Amino acid sequence: MSQKGFTLWFTGLSGAGKTTLAHIVETEMRRHNLKVEILDGDVVRTNLSKGLGFSKEDRDTNIRRIGFVCHLLSRNGVAAISAAISPYREIRDEVRKMIGDFVEVYVHCPVEVCAKRDVKGLYAKAMSGEIPVFTGVSDPYEEPLNPEVIVDSSTETVEESAQKILKKLEELGYLPKTEEVYSEEEEEEVKRRLEELGYF
Amino acid sequence: MGILDRLRSLGKPQTTEVKEKKVVLIGLDGTPYTLLKQFCADGTMPNLAKIVATSSLRQMDVSIPEVSSTSWTCFYTGMNPAQHGIFGFLDLQPNSYKIYFPNSKSVKAPALWDVLGNYGKRSIVINVPETYPAKPLNGALISGFVATDLKKATYPPELFPTLVELGYRLDPDAQKARESKDAFLADIYDVFEKRRKTILQLFDQEKWSLFIGTITETDRLHHFMWDALVDKNHPYHNGFLDFYRRVDGLIGEVYDRLDSNTTFMMCSDHGFTSIEQQVYLNFWLKDNGYLKFTSESPKSVEEMAPGTRAFAMDPTRIYINLKGKYPNGIVEPGAEYEKLRLEIADGLRAITYQGRPVIKKVFMKEDVFRGPLMEQAPDLIVLSNYGFDMKGSTNKQVLMDREIFTGMHTQDDAHFLINRKDINEKKPHICDIAPTIMKELGVAIPSDITGVALT
Repeated sequence: MSQKGFTLWFTGLSGAGKTTLAHIVETEMRRHNLKVEILDGDVVRTNLSKGLGFSKEDRDTNIRRIGFVCHLLSRNGVAAISAAISPYREIRDEVRKMIGDFVEVYVHCPVEVCAKRDVKGLYAKAMSGEIPVFTGVSDPYEEPLNPEVIVDSSTETVEESAQKILKKLEELGYLPKTEEVYSEEEEEEVKRRLEELGYF
Repeated sequence: MGILDRLRSLGKPQTTEVKEKKVVLIGLDGTPYTLLKQFCADGTMPNLAKIVATSSLRQMDVSIPEVSSTSWTCFYTGMNPAQHGIFGFLDLQPNSYKIYFPNSKSVKAPALWDVLGNYGKRSIVINVPETYPAKPLNGALISGFVATDLKKATYPPELFPTLVELGYRLDPDAQKARESKDAFLADIYDVFEKRRKTILQLFDQEKWSLFIGTITETDRLHHFMWDALVDKNHPYHNGFLDFYRRVDGLIGEVYDRLDSNTTFMMCSDHGFTSIEQQVYLNFWLKDNGYLKFTSESPKSVEEMAPGTRAFAMDPTRIYINLKGKYPNGIVEPGAEYEKLRLEIADGLRAITYQGRPVIKKVFMKEDVFRGPLMEQAPDLIVLSNYGFDMKGSTNKQVLMDREIFTGMHTQDDAHFLINRKDINEKKPHICDIAPTIMKELGVAIPSDITGVALT
């Protein structure tokens, strides 16, 4: 199967599980020998978008930059995975239009649950006022209206959510389907081994 | 109350220290109950004999067809094939005669370890057939037969370098059995030794609630060297027994590691017995005018010709070439279909070898399968008498013959062991194991599961 580039766009609150899921999908793509690159929101802000703040304008710029890089990667046959909060619907839709091969994954998780997890300690800071603008607490998060996949990390296990996403990617032809699990060579190998035991 | 107040009022959950229940299961592919009884009695398996003294070792039924792909999927889902979708090692793609090889992605029911994962419980699963490619789970998994690429057979990928270091091998090379029995045995021992090391290393180093280590070399040994077991004067008789002595060693090594919170289980996916004749269902169907091929020596059912009314797939599955279901389907659903099924069943029951019936029972699909995938199920399914190994070969010009194989699968002589004296069923079914493990580990058993908890 020749690789078709696309962008897998995770969106959801901080701590919802976007990065964790992105890495599982990345692993699965690599296991199929597909080229893949993750643009993680936290990482991007230390290089590509260094210096940008959290005003609406800066956040839009950040997402447009990530979207632009995803676009370049996707059109060159790479699976680009974006794992950033990307809170505003309009910008996400703008990026979707630019890229075309775009799969939006809404990682739903109630803000209470994210805050309870508070893996990075950001919710505590947001609540104490140390971080003045924080999505879900003091800044809006606009849920996607028609995402390709919705997962809920407060009710599903990471593995269940990952399976949902991988299944959708199979359906859309971005990952080999069940019948294509074995390459032609492998299929010959399976036949040979079944034959040796008298099953084929 | 505003969101900020709600967030601030979140309390930390209280935790109490409870020693967690665990389950270990050793799978022995194709090891019959009757053979384990024999080996416990004659001293071949002293460790097992000691365990059996305080355990329940039972003869167990498995689903039909009694092949590893179907059976182990029943084992790890607790569901029957019309729920999990694995009816054999090969199947046809929907609305076509094109063969594909069902794999872990074809399994339509949640695996035991998926259910446990929902409760945050970790599973280590080694070499269970029909789990390739390895799918993400809470824990680690090394796929079993028919895995071809160790990398794709390993989850998480970080485990791969460890397996390479251990020299882990997916399967013995069965081709060797045709070249030299010495080389074949040596290969089986080699694969087993590496598997043993891997099992013990992961057992000791990983965290888990469920640990499954499966040995499939037993099945390979049985297929090619069952005669060496039966005949005490066979040059490889001791070689056969010696393999089981090694298996017994591993059982002892695992059992010695258990604490009082851990339940120990063993099981197989079918039994084994001697082959008297191999029987070719597709030859019988062709000979009786039900099946037509486009060539003299067709490689598979893909070379089926129009006009076919029924065909067989390995090992005992018969499909009616139904109108609307297959591209060249000619049998009308309803009365014609039912009449044809009965006619074929009657014909099959009449097959004899030296005056003895070959077929024990012919089932209609609705007798043995129940679930949302009934459409995919074979229309008839055959259970043969001991000694008659049913095959789905398409290129045979005789109804019966013999090949290199000396052992064949049995459906009613698999084994199940649990290290406690009281269990509910006198003769368990392979679908009972998954719910039993779920119950042992204190998780809710899905209501649509086929099996019942044995404890």
